[in-house]
Amino acid sequence: MKPFAYAKPRALTEALKLARGGATVMAGGTDLLGLMKDGIATPDRIVDIRGLEALRGWSRPKGKGLRIGALVPLVELETAAELAALLPIVGEALRPAATVQLRTMGTVGGNLLQRNRCWYFRDEAYPCWLKGGVRCFAVDGDNRLHAILGAAECVAVAPSDLAPALIAYDATVSLTGSRGTRTLPLADLFVTPHGRVRKEHTIASDELIVEVRVPENALSRRGAFEKALERKTWSFALVSVAVSVKLIGGVVRDARVVLGGVAPVPWRARDAEKLLEGRTLDDAACQAAADAALEGALPLKDNGYKVPLARELVRRTLRRLA
Amino acid sequence: MSVKVVRTHAEFEGRIQEETALVEGKDIRSWSVTDELQIVGKPHPRIDGIARVTGKALYTQDLYFPGMLHVRMLRSPYPRARVRAVDASGALALAGVRGVLHRSNAPKAAFRGEETIFRDEVRFAGDEVAAVAADTEEIAALAVRLITVDYEVLPFVPDLEEAMADGAVRLDEKGNVTESGKYERGDTKRAFGEATAVVEATYRTSTQLHNSLETHGAVARWDGDELTVWESTQHVFGVRAGLQAALKIPYRDIRVRCDYMGGGFGSKGGAGKYTIVAAIFARQLGKPVRCFLTRDEENLAAGNRSATVQTVKIAARGKKIHAIEHLAWSNAGQGRWVADPTGPTNGLYDFPNVRTRSYKVLTSLGALASFRAPGYVEGTFALDQAIDELALRIGEDPLTLRRRHAGAQHDPETGKRYSLKRLLRCYDIGEREIGWSHRRPDGARGSAPHRRRGYGMASQIWGGSGLPPAYATVHLNPDGTAVLRCGTQDIGTGTRTVLAQLVAEELGLELGDVRVELGDTNNQYAPISAGSLTVSSVGPAVRLAAKDARMQLLGAASGILEVGPGELRVERGAIVSKGRRTPIGEVLGQVENYTVIGKGSRFPNPEAVSLKTFGAHFAQVEVDVRTGEIFVEHVVAVHDIGRVINPLLAASQVEGGVIQGLGFALSEQRIVDRPTGRVVNGNLESYKIPTVRDVPKITVRFTEDPDTKANNIGAKGLGEPPIIPLPAAIANAVANATGVRMRTAPITQQRMLEALELRP
Repeated sequence: MKPFAYAKPRALTEALKLARGGATVMAGGTDLLGLMKDGIATPDRIVDIRGLEALRGWSRPKGKGLRIGALVPLVELETAAELAALLPIVGEALRPAATVQLRTMGTVGGNLLQRNRCWYFRDEAYPCWLKGGVRCFAVDGDNRLHAILGAAECVAVAPSDLAPALIAYDATVSLTGSRGTRTLPLADLFVTPHGRVRKEHTIASDELIVEVRVPENALSRRGAFEKALERKTWSFALVSVAVSVKLIGGVVRDARVVLGGVAPVPWRARDAEKLLEGRTLDDAACQAAADAALEGALPLKDNGYKVPLARELVRRTLRRLA
Repeated sequence: MSVKVVRTHAEFEGRIQEETALVEGKDIRSWSVTDELQIVGKPHPRIDGIARVTGKALYTQDLYFPGMLHVRMLRSPYPRARVRAVDASGALALAGVRGVLHRSNAPKAAFRGEETIFRDEVRFAGDEVAAVAADTEEIAALAVRLITVDYEVLPFVPDLEEAMADGAVRLDEKGNVTESGKYERGDTKRAFGEATAVVEATYRTSTQLHNSLETHGAVARWDGDELTVWESTQHVFGVRAGLQAALKIPYRDIRVRCDYMGGGFGSKGGAGKYTIVAAIFARQLGKPVRCFLTRDEENLAAGNRSATVQTVKIAARGKKIHAIEHLAWSNAGQGRWVADPTGPTNGLYDFPNVRTRSYKVLTSLGALASFRAPGYVEGTFALDQAIDELALRIGEDPLTLRRRHAGAQHDPETGKRYSLKRLLRCYDIGEREIGWSHRRPDGARGSAPHRRRGYGMASQIWGGSGLPPAYATVHLNPDGTAVLRCGTQDIGTGTRTVLAQLVAEELGLELGDVRVELGDTNNQYAPISAGSLTVSSVGPAVRLAAKDARMQLLGAASGILEVGPGELRVERGAIVSKGRRTPIGEVLGQVENYTVIGKGSRFPNPEAVSLKTFGAHFAQVEVDVRTGEIFVEHVVAVHDIGRVINPLLAASQVEGGVIQGLGFALSEQRIVDRPTGRVVNGNLESYKIPTVRDVPKITVRFTEDPDTKANNIGAKGLGEPPIIPLPAAIANAVANATGVRMRTAPITQQRMLEALELRP
């Protein structure tokens, strides 16, 4: 690992100042440390933001949804009873994901900003397109874990299971930086790497995630989460599916169908959502939505299995809500 | 005591080898079923268990000496290249770097038949190009990046079947494929003509990585001319021999130690390049040197289980298996040998007509290393699935079909009678414990929608007889406590505890009064802890050493107590004479500090019988036919290994084997990027070892009869048997559940779903 300077500011303003000019922000460090050990991230300066009180804790301001600070440890989303009751699918998404050690160190903000797990990206020896090289090695290489939807120059998939779960609840994210604070839909934090955009997130290098918010009206929705892993636990999902709906007299309103592990970003299956609107969650509707969700899938040579797998998981999550 | 030379034959990992050994005195008869043993056969917890779980036990990886230097290797990024030049000046300029070794400056050091550690032509991505010694591991890692190498990249072959194909790049003048084993009995050509049903299929198994928790590594320290090496190894004497060959120094000056060890699974059979490099640096730089592989390096350059492609043609005549032909090609990587997957086909069942061929295939990948039952796991995956495929074809229950070929009491390869064979009893126990009667030929409904349930089983054969030479010494102290000294090592299986039980039993001591010193070439020789031979090789020598000590003790006690030696016996730490118990310490205490030293050696195996271990695994699985997810619900593992010295440790051993077999069956596979020849998942993230959540209910049973013909303790080996049949049993259960035959291991969710999608 390359030597680096390290700072742990106590105040947000100080952190933002330190973050300017190409510093790397670190929260739990569970992803960053691996990237540094593998020579993928080579920061000169690290700003450890774990001292920032403003980014800690979660709250439920009356009638104003749910606020989750960027530094809330992942493990708290599952173990805090009130949170688990409000957003049960978040706990479902996180629990089989990683060891309790990783979930204790890992934070909400860090989880959303983790880099992809493509084995070509993670191996320093491959000068892949996302790292500034000329081509994607996964396209001709082993792409069993890669994208079936929405990919451009890079076929890596968005690895977070938390992101689809939160996006299914219309979460927004607040960022702060030297040019002020902005709030955007969580889905917009992610970007498909393409053209001159050789990154997976829209956050600027001198910005921090302050918090994630789930709006009040979304909290009353019913949700379900399913994922497929290469073993029973401690694994990034092959495919994950988060859904939420409002059921009024058995009729679907505001359906959200979000997939992980299939695209470079958490994948909103809008056709499926549209199809569900106004219908009851019977077998036919769930199957039709599942088919619609995978309609445009373009598998690579090794990952065709993800299509039926994702289709079935969409169908199942929806059926669980019926 | 008189010393006698014996020449004998013994089996090691499926191969018969000749052994010459020395034995002293006379062997004793085996403990029999009627002997009432006090300590042997009891489920004693590990005597070093507390030390292990509290961190007091020092593994090689835990050793840090003052002033110690740390080594990191530079490894080839290319699967094949000529190293034109190495420029280490950048690394040497870095503060804290103490030395760099590479092909132009390293002293000649023979290693496994080659003259130097660093090859002119690197032959796999991960091959050693240079080594850096530095004050810290971090500095060494940084320095490695500052070495520039001029490579001439050469054509390579990244894959087993590509290497077998016509027109493949030749990695050896003689070609990539060489025959490595052949066997025939009967007349398969005629027999296939007589058959009433024939099934032919191709099976594939993937490269499995050992992933010992403690990676390969060594710490070397010179005191004057004397070299001490601490190494995580299955064979301290093998490491000593490797150091002698490389450094050309006498045994007098080499001591190798391995006190506690974090796993080997076959891959730690002798000195590694890291050992030699640590020793060279330590001598050149005058400081202790530590060289341990990282996890990534471990998965590139420390061995693996060969991938295989195997074709099996199997024929029935009526309701019996009449003939089988089994051809196996194994990916040796850059290895010099290869395991034989056809071993089980040759010897497990009494098929009348058998023809097998085994081939070694070179590829541009890291060399294989023995991996827990090398060849037999892969071969059984093919053989026992082929039997099920034939059973299905002829409409027979697969267990019933096997029973017709599993009862023979003679070894079909040698014609010799087995010393003990309880395979049919294994079937009976497994059948009952798994609930085989619930099995339906077309599978059954599972516990949830879209789930199907199935049952499968497979059989196991392995050696495990143990072999000479092995020697041990028991020191009985004047206070009645004893120390066993032996050159074997406890690779995590519980050897220390088992040997202490043997000493305590034979010498008449309490278990707590025995200390065991292993893993040191200053003790007498013991063989490699591999091939399921530790207990059956070392145990009989240990028992004889304890017996020798007991006889000497009784002689001494007879003189001290003035009672005829025939009237004395030792029991739970006391000399017993006519109902009177005198603690050993009280008896020996009357003599000024006399230490009784008992010696024992391993006698040869009986030549007239065939010594094998047998077993069977039964699996109950469910498969989600819409997602391809496999749920292994219950595994019953039954083994026939002779006497079980410690049922608790034996059960752990079996559970470990089942779990490792589960990984082979369902999730573990090294993945190589074919365009570049690099391993892309040499880490614990993407290489999927089973977690606790993947582990099913495991029922462990033993047939328990001691093999009194085998050796004086009646025990055979258990290290390898419990991994052998599991993958085939699971594959058979999956086929029963789904009607889909999965001929490639691992049966990942991806492969399962792809196969289910292709169903008509």
